Amino acid sequence: MTGTPFSRRTLLKGGAAGLSLAALGTSAACGSGSGSGSGSKTLKMLYFGEQSQATELQNRLQPEITKLDPGVTFEIAAINGTDWNDFLAKVLTQIAAGTPPDIISVATEGLQLMAQKELAIPLDDYVTKDMANLKEYFADVHPALIESMMYQGHLWELPDSFNAGNMFYDTNLFQAAGLDAPPQDWTIDDFEKAATKIAGTKGVDAYGWVVRLWGSWTSFMYANDANLLEEGKFDGGDWLWNSEAYAGNAAAQGRKGGYQWGAPTANSAGTVEALDYLIQLTKRGLSSSPDVGGGGTLQGRFATGNIGMSIGGGFWAGGLINAGMKKGSFDVTMFPKWKSQRHLFGAGGYAIFKSSKQKDLSWEVLKLLVKPSSFDLVFPGNVTTPGRKSLMTAERYATTGPKNWKVFYDTLTEHPETAPIPAPPYYNAMATALNQRTTQAVSSGDAKAALDGLQADLEKAAAAAGK
Amino acid sequence: MATVTAPVAAGARTPERPRRSNPIKQGEGRFGFAMIGLAVLFVTVFTAIPIVASLVLSFFSWDVISPPEFIGMENYRRLLDDGPVLRSFGVTIGMAIAIVVLQLSVGLGLAVLVNARAQVWLRTFFRTAFYLPLLASSASVSIFMGYLFDYKFGVVNYYLGLVGISNVPWLTSGFGAATTIVLITVWQQTGFTFVLFVAALMAVPTDVLEASQIDGAGGWRTFVGIKVPLISPTILFAAVVALINAMQLFDQPYIMTKGGPGTSTTTVTISMYQQGFQNLQFGYGSAIAIILLLLILAITGLQFLAARKLVFYQ
Repeated sequence: MTGTPFSRRTLLKGGAAGLSLAALGTSAACGSGSGSGSGSKTLKMLYFGEQSQATELQNRLQPEITKLDPGVTFEIAAINGTDWNDFLAKVLTQIAAGTPPDIISVATEGLQLMAQKELAIPLDDYVTKDMANLKEYFADVHPALIESMMYQGHLWELPDSFNAGNMFYDTNLFQAAGLDAPPQDWTIDDFEKAATKIAGTKGVDAYGWVVRLWGSWTSFMYANDANLLEEGKFDGGDWLWNSEAYAGNAAAQGRKGGYQWGAPTANSAGTVEALDYLIQLTKRGLSSSPDVGGGGTLQGRFATGNIGMSIGGGFWAGGLINAGMKKGSFDVTMFPKWKSQRHLFGAGGYAIFKSSKQKDLSWEVLKLLVKPSSFDLVFPGNVTTPGRKSLMTAERYATTGPKNWKVFYDTLTEHPETAPIPAPPYYNAMATALNQRTTQAVSSGDAKAALDGLQADLEKAAAAAGK
Repeated sequence: MATVTAPVAAGARTPERPRRSNPIKQGEGRFGFAMIGLAVLFVTVFTAIPIVASLVLSFFSWDVISPPEFIGMENYRRLLDDGPVLRSFGVTIGMAIAIVVLQLSVGLGLAVLVNARAQVWLRTFFRTAFYLPLLASSASVSIFMGYLFDYKFGVVNYYLGLVGISNVPWLTSGFGAATTIVLITVWQQTGFTFVLFVAALMAVPTDVLEASQIDGAGGWRTFVGIKVPLISPTILFAAVVALINAMQLFDQPYIMTKGGPGTSTTTVTISMYQQGFQNLQFGYGSAIAIILLLLILAITGLQFLAARKLVFYQ
């Protein structure tokens, strides 16, 4: 040490200074985080998708927002993920990092979590105050979508899009198998007969599916009049259903304050029967083994003519075209009738974060986002189904198809029993368990054992969530 | 000794002065401390503080949204009663053992084979070739391998089909998925141990090898009796690093199987991620992380204890 110019004390001092700098850096980071969306003139929105898309949307909406407040910069941060579960995990990480947004686009999957944790604010007062302006919005958006965005009687989001689990089919494979286009009132037996015929084509899977909550074996579960959780509805919501927005609207009759998901019923007879049905289809060679997650592989295989039928929503119209499928080589029909023809759906919309210091401005932006003119800015190319019926036009589907595009919205109007996916506040834990237990069932061939396990998982998750 | 040392120490001040005033030496000293300081700062900020923060967090219930609530040892008590999480420890240990054993034996085998080649360019070629997979990100390798080993449309099953073998459930059966993930991890990581072993084998003194040849030792006897003991410190280092990596296995199972089918490839890090980031139980996730850390420390400690008897330092 004699030859060194630094003493140990100097080194310790240096180290302490370094640590102080690091600590300062950390606190500075916290400081800047808490500043976001709190008095600054930046309005921040989180969006599920690609950043390039988000930036384009941000640039397109900025002039409209400048009209509302010339001093505000609109900033959309995209969050990438394979599914909503992934998206929500990343959103919560951002919140933990101290950078909450002002506005967030959240689907059914995250609504109750967000509402229960009071991350967002109820929109009731804003809606009531602006009812005169919003009457045309509520008249245009199906009440089922509005109700799906309610929790404990309050409205938490303004929905702008949805996807119901309909059945897409490859018209070429149907033709090759000598099959007619499936009618909208077809049954599970018709589906199975079609699958058996298509399976005769070499190298083709008659049916393809993916492991997830939306549009998986869960669609069969809904059609079998079963569910993963007990279904109920919260009281309340009269402030909206009895308002001038819904005067004389038959579709609003009996609507309440949002879905109340109760005790798990994952191993009920109907649920087991639905999952076992898919397992048996796979064993008989009528269905492919499912992937886990977002469904990109499934969509790709369908688009390349390797799958005869699969569950898809309006987002498949643009998705299949983007994947290279030609218009006319696919079409859509209702999900087949089993015990009922009940479909499931998931909706997307916008909420205002509780931590936002610009709530009034955020509300104005929300109204802007649900305007008919905003829809194609936010979702170019039929990558989801419009929540507004007025946007469901032949022109919209002229370049992408499918021919029976009316099925998307008719699912809500023709099948009023159709309901949102079961997404309680503990959705994330539920989705993880569902994925694990479904792959277990497919691998072992024992639906009952896997769903007994899922039942235990859900009971534990519900208890942990304080249900 | 004292008579020699004392005068040197007493007179040390005089000869030290010119060294202190040497600006080059002084600059080197400053640079050295700056480098050490940076490393210390880096480890403190990115390793030590997070470990301490995780430890503290493991005594709380925290869902990110609500304020943290102190619950003492509850997360650890819960862990002891949590079948799926405990199972993930079993899965991790099983896969880690398989990975370490295969990684070391394949890496050593390849290194011996390559080292036996006389041509330098051939050695360089193989070293580069075997090291290449390590340079690819494990996420992209996992995505790619997921497609290769897909049950229905994977290239592997396609070629097996051409020779009359029916589709193998590489990733859709519990044992198949675990085995495939182990093999892919070994394929990607072996390059690291391989390069270490090649270097170690090249450093074995030739006079020792020549002496063993004169004594009539055959190839296998020389390998077991001379080379392995001489490279045993490298084997220990490779084993420790491989084990630490294997115990933190995440990318491959998460991307290829999401921990499935069922929980057959759910490793501890996946459990930790699920509990923390998906189930919003960050305190519980931290408790799992701390137990994993302790487990890795314990196993590494055992390795060093065993090394006292098995490792030969020249």
